[in-house]
Amino acid sequence: MRVVGASLPRYDGVAHVTGRSRFVDDVRVPRMLWAKALRSPLHHATLTRLDTSKAAGMKGVHAIVTWQDVPRLVYGPLSGRGVPGDEPLLAKGEVRYEGEPIALVAAEDEATAAEAVEAIDVEYQELPALFDLRLAADPGAPVIHEWGNWYPHFEAEMDVRRIRRGDIAWAFDRADTIVAGVYRPGAVEHAPLEPQVALAVPEADGRLTIHSCTQSLDFSMSVVAAHLELPLNRIRFVGGTVGGGFGGKVDTAADTICALAAIKASRPVKWRWTREEEFLCSSTRAAWHMEIADAVTRDGWILGRRMLTLHDSGAYTRVSPYGVTKHSFHHTGAYTIPNLHFDAYIVYTNRSPTTSMRGYGATSVSFATELHLSRIAEVLGLDPFELRLKNANRVGDTSPNGIAYTDPSTVPTILEIARAIGHELPAEYRAMTAEPRSGDLLPEHLVEQLGVVRR
Amino acid sequence: MRLTVDGVEHELARPGLATLLHVLREELAVTGPKAGCQQGSCGACTVLVDGAPRRSCLLPAAALDGAEVATVEGLGAAEHLSPLQAAFLEHHGFQCGFCTPGFLVAAHALLERSPAPSRREIEAALGGHTCRCTGYLGIVEAVEAAAEAGGAAR
Repeated sequence: MRVVGASLPRYDGVAHVTGRSRFVDDVRVPRMLWAKALRSPLHHATLTRLDTSKAAGMKGVHAIVTWQDVPRLVYGPLSGRGVPGDEPLLAKGEVRYEGEPIALVAAEDEATAAEAVEAIDVEYQELPALFDLRLAADPGAPVIHEWGNWYPHFEAEMDVRRIRRGDIAWAFDRADTIVAGVYRPGAVEHAPLEPQVALAVPEADGRLTIHSCTQSLDFSMSVVAAHLELPLNRIRFVGGTVGGGFGGKVDTAADTICALAAIKASRPVKWRWTREEEFLCSSTRAAWHMEIADAVTRDGWILGRRMLTLHDSGAYTRVSPYGVTKHSFHHTGAYTIPNLHFDAYIVYTNRSPTTSMRGYGATSVSFATELHLSRIAEVLGLDPFELRLKNANRVGDTSPNGIAYTDPSTVPTILEIARAIGHELPAEYRAMTAEPRSGDLLPEHLVEQLGVVRR
Repeated sequence: MRLTVDGVEHELARPGLATLLHVLREELAVTGPKAGCQQGSCGACTVLVDGAPRRSCLLPAAALDGAEVATVEGLGAAEHLSPLQAAFLEHHGFQCGFCTPGFLVAAHALLERSPAPSRREIEAALGGHTCRCTGYLGIVEAVEAAAEAGGAAR
């Protein structure tokens, strides 16, 4: 047992402190070209003209790719799991967010590529744009996709991620008070120090080597293979040294388009995003809109929760069904609420597509739940620690999706926080553990109800 | 023009408007300094120019004829880490490692100038550097440990 429990030096540590780690941008290959993208300057528009012929004839320009060059234009990162794709690799006919890629130019150097981007003949007809997800269902709201402004493909083709548990009407009838709140965390840019960068190398044997900053090599490999309609054994991914990702490099943002340009140019192509592009149009953590109403007793038991979530997916679906499903599973935070009535919608806006970021889907609801519990304590005039301890997850309690907790840490964590900051608690709270609740801490109506919902 | 990089002297054709970062990375293949923002705000491209920490992404190389440039790659080799590099390793002064070259160079310059800096001095010297993996505490502790272990000495 030399390794288990030991503190080991990082395998990549010496390379990091000597400047010898090889990030994608540090890789150089002979005959390498540089790429620059034509991106939409508008949030929402019809593409009325796209002509690359003049730019393609410029000195030093080797290839320009548009939607017409993509073997399979539309593919979704969750397509393999039954979520239909809705995002074209390069815009065709319409752009739905500012910065959406329309074309990629591969040229001798970055400056030449940038000049050629300027020379692409493109015209737009601006359309009204939608930025506030609360307005997506309004009559007269700008229409983002032909099927509407929210995702329609949850199980059984429902347009909502829905959870029902127990008897919500009973909980709200029985409650002494209803405490309601609305919580709206905004979008967050991951801003890794290393921007999106890809290097695609067409090999002499017909294979394609891609140096990638992806957080998930196999995931990105399958996305590239699907768009380019190449078998997996024709693609080799090199990666693993990622200059910060935080979830944002789960999206395959640069690899596929770069590979397409490399194939067309028959030359290696490197595409490195600028910091401005990162902020303008790399995916972000989603903005969320959460409305919570909790049915509570005057002594601080939460009997039921009604919740509506709107998730800002940005212009396309990407991995939002995964994030919203996880959100639904976690929608009571670190607490057990026996009766639940939960609906969540994935809403499209003309903002950058959103993606995973540290605790995908769960951090939004933890934020909302913690604020909401403090609000309940304030309304009821109760100690916020005692309120949390009462409703904390215990062994055998179940998550909203029915998973029984075997080792929930809510009680020990709250007790430790109280101890660390010198918050005094009555003896019966100090004695609490994560073990199942004993009868003396349960009001009769809850025993009866939990008995019903636990079995 | 002439440029000395990590002790090696180079003759360069006229670099036009190219930045020092571009010359280092694309012409001399010195990839230690990183292109994080290329607008002078993140600090990942920091190198020492005649001993002073500078953002190489903002410096026109043409203005540096005869200068001595030191990058992270000159601080110490894998087989013989400087006390500062060893302290970054020991105190988890990095996570992804992309900002590390800039932090190391800036901290090195600080210890050369002020061998026993206060925490405030360290924070001031590293204040313009961004780490998105949130390693600041480890970085500051690493610099303190390096100062105790003998400063920047290679």
